[in-house]
Amino acid sequence: MASARADRLAEQTRPQAGRKTGNLMLALVALAAVFLLFMGFLGALKKGDLLSEQNMLYVAVVFYGAAAALYIGYGVTGTNRYLRFALFGIWLGFIANTLAVGHRWWDAGRPPFSNIYEMLLSFVWTLAALTLYVERRYAVKIIGTVTMPLAVIGVLLMQLLPAAVRPLVPALQSTWLHIHVTLAMLAYAACAVSFALAMMFLIQDRVKTETFLLSTSAMLTAIYVGVASRFDPSGGLQVVAWNAESHQEIFIAEKTRLMVVIPSLGWLFFVVLAAVLAPLALVLWAKWNKDERGATWANRAFFLSTLLQGLALVAFVMRARQGVYASPQLEGLFATHLSASPFILAGLVSGLFASLLYLMLFWRRSDLQRMLPTSNVLDRLTYKTIGIAFPLLTLMIASGAYWANQTWGSYWSWDPKETWALITWLVYAGYLHMRIARGWRGRRAAYFAILGFAIVLFTFFGVTYLLPGLHAYA
Amino acid sequence: MARETSRFIDSIIKTLSSIRTGIVLLIIVVIASAAGTFILQRPLTDPDKLAKVYSPQTLAWLDRLGLTDVFHAWWFILLLALLSVTIVLASLERFPMAWRSFARPYLRPEPHFLSGLPLQQEIPIRHAATAIEAAERAFRQQRLKVQRVGRNGDTSLYAERQRIAHLAAYVVHVSLLLILIGGMVDALWGYRGFVGMTKNEQVNQIEMRDGKTRPMGFTLRCDGAGQENYPDGTPRRYWSTLAVLENGREVQRETIEVNKPLVYRGLRFFQSSYGPTGEIGSVRLLASSKADPSIRKEIELQPGVPVALDADTSVNLAGFIPDFVISGNQIASRSNELNNPAVQLSVVSKDAGESRVWLFPKFPDFPHPDNAPYAFQVRELEMGYFTGLQVSYEPGQWAVWAGVILMGVGLWMAFYLVHTRFWAVPVNDGRGRQVLWVGATASKNRDELESRFHKLVAAIEQELSVPVEMKEEEEEDSVPVA
Repeated sequence: MASARADRLAEQTRPQAGRKTGNLMLALVALAAVFLLFMGFLGALKKGDLLSEQNMLYVAVVFYGAAAALYIGYGVTGTNRYLRFALFGIWLGFIANTLAVGHRWWDAGRPPFSNIYEMLLSFVWTLAALTLYVERRYAVKIIGTVTMPLAVIGVLLMQLLPAAVRPLVPALQSTWLHIHVTLAMLAYAACAVSFALAMMFLIQDRVKTETFLLSTSAMLTAIYVGVASRFDPSGGLQVVAWNAESHQEIFIAEKTRLMVVIPSLGWLFFVVLAAVLAPLALVLWAKWNKDERGATWANRAFFLSTLLQGLALVAFVMRARQGVYASPQLEGLFATHLSASPFILAGLVSGLFASLLYLMLFWRRSDLQRMLPTSNVLDRLTYKTIGIAFPLLTLMIASGAYWANQTWGSYWSWDPKETWALITWLVYAGYLHMRIARGWRGRRAAYFAILGFAIVLFTFFGVTYLLPGLHAYA
Repeated sequence: MARETSRFIDSIIKTLSSIRTGIVLLIIVVIASAAGTFILQRPLTDPDKLAKVYSPQTLAWLDRLGLTDVFHAWWFILLLALLSVTIVLASLERFPMAWRSFARPYLRPEPHFLSGLPLQQEIPIRHAATAIEAAERAFRQQRLKVQRVGRNGDTSLYAERQRIAHLAAYVVHVSLLLILIGGMVDALWGYRGFVGMTKNEQVNQIEMRDGKTRPMGFTLRCDGAGQENYPDGTPRRYWSTLAVLENGREVQRETIEVNKPLVYRGLRFFQSSYGPTGEIGSVRLLASSKADPSIRKEIELQPGVPVALDADTSVNLAGFIPDFVISGNQIASRSNELNNPAVQLSVVSKDAGESRVWLFPKFPDFPHPDNAPYAFQVRELEMGYFTGLQVSYEPGQWAVWAGVILMGVGLWMAFYLVHTRFWAVPVNDGRGRQVLWVGATASKNRDELESRFHKLVAAIEQELSVPVEMKEEEEEDSVPVA
């Protein structure tokens, strides 16, 4: 799985190869997909579980990944044919994804919404469905450039989470749970689409490429500062240890996890941090000195940092996937696993995708602008998707309140997840008021939509892992 | 002076009703709420943990600012109240305008309105009356409820859809106020508490969070409780059978589960916990006479109920320890789980007097010399269990649910209803020609209006191009069918 990803990433970071002939990249992607599917098929034959949910998801992620690669390939080379094949890829992936969802539903005898694994499964499905819908209904041909990488990240994250169908604890045995979570997934997927549209709007609205460089670099810096904070004085990287048998983290005291140190990986991440800081510094320096060459150098540095990020990801996956390492807390060697570091992995993968998206923008901006609907249409579409997301958010909160009232005897208890859902709701309410009553259009509205999605992400992931409360099982 | 006061009040009202104030308040509420999720909150976190995480000085400041209980702090409530006032004032200020467009449809557009409309078209006609008739047919064909405005010779057409869309924002705001009012009623008059019961126990008061008790006004009896597990040992279901007694008479009996509360007189009882009390519930024993091993008897013992073994001997429960351990010289229990249970019996016989007997079901061969006339073996042991019920009283919840439903309606109206209006007016185009002026507006979603408008214009042109005589024939033909 991981090496397959690495293959594809390597392919994406060598964009110049595809610039000469459009067929080369198509052939490469097709070959990679066939190879991956064939390998998966052989593995499944050996195990004799050809039609399992895992395998269907595998097929889905291969096709989504191929679609993402083609979209990015289009972004780099501007070959129109890629888009057709990419759409075809989404369809195939979507079919496999639907089968996986159906399989799980059948297996569990209830809709798949009861834990974060199943919610991601449904989220990815909804995302693909919405992508197909928006692409068909509004002819936003390249919406997949943003949503497909998101889908791939979602499926990859799912591989790391415990997948076994677990029986529901009593509090979750309610129809309202399914209603609540379905609404949440739909609402969040709509928010994701509005985010993608807002980003496209900014591209069409002639926001300077430099600004995108600046914000991408700032995001990358935040990610790598986060990862590098796990630096161990010995030069290694601290990761959480993993008990392979029980599929759990190892706790040595209440709320204290056992950590292990992967040697010399810490230095690598420091180097990458420096590499992603470089374009940021160069842009700022160029702005300060009003020096034209600064931007050129910043983009070169950015390209270099993207290569380094790919390298860091491969190194991290290779070393954290398996192996035993020493721990600073206890004597002896302990195992770790990718599942123990979902945040680092998600951060690295999303950072890399964001970088690739930026490079695509940098190399092919005029083609992109030609392909995208006009800024006016995008602006209105963003508003329309939020017009779908907001009632869904409202209903999600209401159904959650009703369910809580039936289970705990209180419809609102200011639990962190509830509070953050409310904050999300208020932010989008603010967007709607500014737009309807104060006539905010265009760039300001787009920034607002992006802010809204950032808060959705925090509510979905951040609150689950950082601020535990009543939603502890989600 | 009076005028100045009124001016002052005016300016306050103006400030409060402005959308800017609303947004600023919204931002403050968002920041305060976010702070409330990052800072550990008082009722949920125990004081030890707070003391561990924050230094005493920080904690004192956080407490003073209400930041350790943000959502119940006076300033947070004040913020919400201010926000409600802003919503009310802003709605009141803008309501007359919306009401006017709702209550008084603009039936006959003025020339200046006509000329300013972005979506309009002029269709040349010969005769105003026939053109109106043709247009009327076209309107109907497009499923528009058309009405004639004005009198003979000066007739025009008007049609509209979903006029109610103008009121959507007010519906949403009223629903929001309902929710806030319901929440405040519950914050002021609602309460939450806890009732713990064992089987057959009767309770008539609630333990509140602050340690006080509160009478229920009726009695609750627990007739049974239990837990069922999945094969892997995780709990699948908790249940309690409860009976409500009024003056000793049973008026309601129900089995509740985690998602299924019992409701009586506005009080709701929720299954919230279930577990061993650490006391014995019942034990089944095999008693065999030491004198004559052929005399064997199976008995069931419950606390406080002595059982006769023969005419001279009776046995009673004297003590129970669920998880027996001797620490130092003392007998203690490590936990409330049945890990190493120990049962103490008191056997009273005429000849030997009272003797105490210890039984260890996990170690049946453990020697325990006693002078009781019988030897005992534990066949089955059941612990006493308690069921924990969460109690809540929320008189305001109905306002909240009404508000939620109303909000659903309001949002649907706001996003999916569009007030569209269509006019057809015969006018002179200024060069002596008669034309039929057709125009349309929509409160939003212009794209869709445009396509509807073009369809309508095409339909009118079609109707106009069909000769009148033929039309009439056609209509005559169609009469028998209808």
